[in-house]
Amino acid sequence: MIALLRRGDAALRGSLSTKLTLFYAALFALAAALILLGAKVGITAYAERMVASEMDAGAQVFDRVATMRYAQLRDAGRVLAADFGFREAAATNDAPTIASALESLKGRLRLDQAFLVGTDGSVTGFAGDLPPDDAEALRSALDRGASAGVLRLGHARFNAAAASVDTPMTIGWLVLGNRVDHRELAALSKLSAIDLAPRIVDAGSVVPITGNRGETFVAGQRMLTRAVPIASFRQNDPQTLVLTYSMTRALAAYAPMLWLLLGCGIAGVAVAAAGSWLLARRLTLPIRALDAAARKVAEGNYAQVPVETRDELGNLAATFNRMVDEIGERERQITHMALHDALTGLANRTLLDDHLARALLQTGDRRQALFCLDLDNFKAVNDTLGHPTGDGLLCVIADRLRTFAGDGLVARLGGDEFAMLVDDIHRSFDRSAAELVQLIAKPCTVDGHRIVPGTSVGIAILGADGADPIELSKNADLALYRAKQEGRGGFRFFEPRMDAEAQKRRQMELDLHDAIRLGQLSLMFQPLFNLSESRISAFEALLRWHHPVRGLISPVDFIPLAEDTGLIVPIGEWVIREACRVASAWPKHVRIAVNVSPVQFSHAGLKSVILQALGETGLAPNRLELEITESLFIENPEATLASLHSLRGLGVRVALDDFGTGYSSLSYLRSFPFDKIKIDRSFIIDLLKSDGATAIIRSITTLAEALGMETTAEGVESAGQLDILREQGCSQIQGYYFSKPIPEKSVFQLLYEGEGLARLAS
Amino acid sequence: MIRITALGLSLLVAAPAHAGDVGIRVVDASGAPLADAVVTIHPAAGVFSGPIRFPWKLAMVQRNISFEPSTLIVPAGATVPFPNEDKVRHHVYSFSKPARFEIKLFGRDETRSYTFKSPGAVALGCNIHDRMAGFIKVVDTPFAMKTDADGMSIIRSVTGGRARLTVWHPRMRARDNEVTFDIDVPASGDLTRRIQVALR
Repeated sequence: MIALLRRGDAALRGSLSTKLTLFYAALFALAAALILLGAKVGITAYAERMVASEMDAGAQVFDRVATMRYAQLRDAGRVLAADFGFREAAATNDAPTIASALESLKGRLRLDQAFLVGTDGSVTGFAGDLPPDDAEALRSALDRGASAGVLRLGHARFNAAAASVDTPMTIGWLVLGNRVDHRELAALSKLSAIDLAPRIVDAGSVVPITGNRGETFVAGQRMLTRAVPIASFRQNDPQTLVLTYSMTRALAAYAPMLWLLLGCGIAGVAVAAAGSWLLARRLTLPIRALDAAARKVAEGNYAQVPVETRDELGNLAATFNRMVDEIGERERQITHMALHDALTGLANRTLLDDHLARALLQTGDRRQALFCLDLDNFKAVNDTLGHPTGDGLLCVIADRLRTFAGDGLVARLGGDEFAMLVDDIHRSFDRSAAELVQLIAKPCTVDGHRIVPGTSVGIAILGADGADPIELSKNADLALYRAKQEGRGGFRFFEPRMDAEAQKRRQMELDLHDAIRLGQLSLMFQPLFNLSESRISAFEALLRWHHPVRGLISPVDFIPLAEDTGLIVPIGEWVIREACRVASAWPKHVRIAVNVSPVQFSHAGLKSVILQALGETGLAPNRLELEITESLFIENPEATLASLHSLRGLGVRVALDDFGTGYSSLSYLRSFPFDKIKIDRSFIIDLLKSDGATAIIRSITTLAEALGMETTAEGVESAGQLDILREQGCSQIQGYYFSKPIPEKSVFQLLYEGEGLARLAS
Repeated sequence: MIRITALGLSLLVAAPAHAGDVGIRVVDASGAPLADAVVTIHPAAGVFSGPIRFPWKLAMVQRNISFEPSTLIVPAGATVPFPNEDKVRHHVYSFSKPARFEIKLFGRDETRSYTFKSPGAVALGCNIHDRMAGFIKVVDTPFAMKTDADGMSIIRSVTGGRARLTVWHPRMRARDNEVTFDIDVPASGDLTRRIQVALR
């Protein structure tokens, strides 16, 4: 759950639509904030201008109203001042008359003050107490011509106007006034659109304000203040109209608008966010579809995305689909290459194993078998006719196998090895194998060469002969190995015994590894008796392996193994050294014969090994005789000849072993001057049974003599054989009749006794 | 603000002893000559007790809706006629202390007069025409003279010795619109003074 949340969170942070949404929302929010800020600044400026203009208007209104009032008061004053009776009363200081006239005027015009100021400073009819200072100041002002304005008397202020009382010389002034009190100012303030809280103060008491406008902060409110000089009745007592308006309050009036704007801004941000989210989704949905498809492709699945639009995204989707198809095609090619043999197009081992694994999982009545086969003598085809022809042959075989298998799997495992899965629904495995051998054996023509292929087949049954592909393959191989061992062109089913033999062989291989090091190898020596000299002329060194557990092991059992594994090289080296060492102690006329295996012969180090052995032991080269078999000539005659000549150059002797078996070709005898020919024991055994054998011996000895070669007969076991051989001119004999192989320490004894034996033999 | 400046402080030592001419030049605050100011001198020695005569006609005419002359000097006890030469009616009045009266004058009426008994300044107005203003200065000394357009008034043959000089003008910013100085009139020769007065 937490992981899911975390993934969701990551997706949110990482998603393009979120980024776009946040970006545009932020952009719009910024724009809205700017608009809001602009509105606030604009509104503030507007409000200030508005208040300022209201103040201008207020001041003007005050001025006009005051002017009007003064005019009214002056007119009223003039009317009374011009009245003859009043003038007479004034001129005659008729105080009661004056007072009554003033009272009457006050009553009529609802005046707060109406009084007469004489040029001599006397004041008549003033309501209340007038301080003498004010009286004098008033007189003085009147005397200077003051006629209207705000008149401050004591603490009270009046809108006052004066009219001179002329008789015709001015004898005094009639002053009419109305109190400028809160009521008056309140009435005045109602004339302007906003309450400017007008008040009138002495000019001197006004805090100096820059210009006639200023700002103050009162109780947290920003107050805009305007001080307007107004007409003062007394010039030396200037009065100022102070207008005040709270900007805070003025702006408060706009607060709902700003809130509305803010609300609209927030709504706008939400709309922008939603809009850009939707837009981004339209953009990101195809991208996400691509992402999901790419993920599927990455996981190895096939995926296509729908192409819905004809814009860049649509193009991308189309390109993606093409790419997926092409990747799929290439993948199929690669997979095919990985699972198939390039030459024949057959399955390779990997695919075979895969099929085997699957087939092994299937249960049911159907039995399946793994056929392993390889071509007989394919190497010879390759070597003699060239690789292209060899490859051509492989393709022909592959086609035949494919035809044979039908739906079944055929694989090439490498070289000339093939394998196929066969079931026994239509025919038994035996029959299949036999038919297969026959099919392969049909002659064919490749590159103009007529070739008769041959094959052997090893069969392992799925389940019974192995539960996994590796075991099955191994067992089929063992069966094949056995089939080849038993003669080519046959087939064998796997048997558990084979596995045991294979195990044994493997163990022996391991043991053979240690044999040299642990001194388990030893040499036995079998003498070669020279019939004409009637003495032992040589010993053949024969290898023995004293296995610590299995006892003495015959070379027949372990030499092929040593040849297969390459161990023959170090073993052969040891044999040569050991043989030379032993022989160096012998009389000068006694040679030592050593068998050289074809593997050992083709090994590059042979010549230096021989040189070293001769050098170390001081054995004369002509006392060392190398015995080779004619099979050497089959594989690479030219190289073999070159090697033989090279060895001969050292001075050592070369004998052709097992002559008469295998491919025995007289051309070998012509191409290389062997020192000796050893006639195979099979001819010697037949000597007493058929006359033909004697004829063969005679022809061989005749041929050898003609070519200047010695002859040695192997496996001489009876006096009868000896007689015939002697008759037919064989130069040396070897065999139990004379002596079986003996250990090193018995050699000298035999050499002396041998003299006697020889006599006996002759 | 009154300042007296001796212009030619020289005593005119001339033949008839005991008397000299006093020349007074009246200017306003700006130094401009002030016409129609009334200059009177009361010698400490007193004046003769006979009737005072002035060389100008003692009548206050209403002509062209104004008093003519605008200022008239009359001796106390003089009866001054108020002939109306206009076709309109006038209602001459005075609330001044020395002489309070009203004379309703009909067109072309030359019969009305008033006898001014007490010295002092009498302001005349017309109740019909507020613009009209005239002054009658009732004096008890023969040494009285109006300044001319140059602000000059020369009073001849003033008794020598200490004397009180009074300058009156209806617009003068002073109590009763007049200022008074003590002067010494030389027994012989002339006394000339420049008197600066403040006006309303």
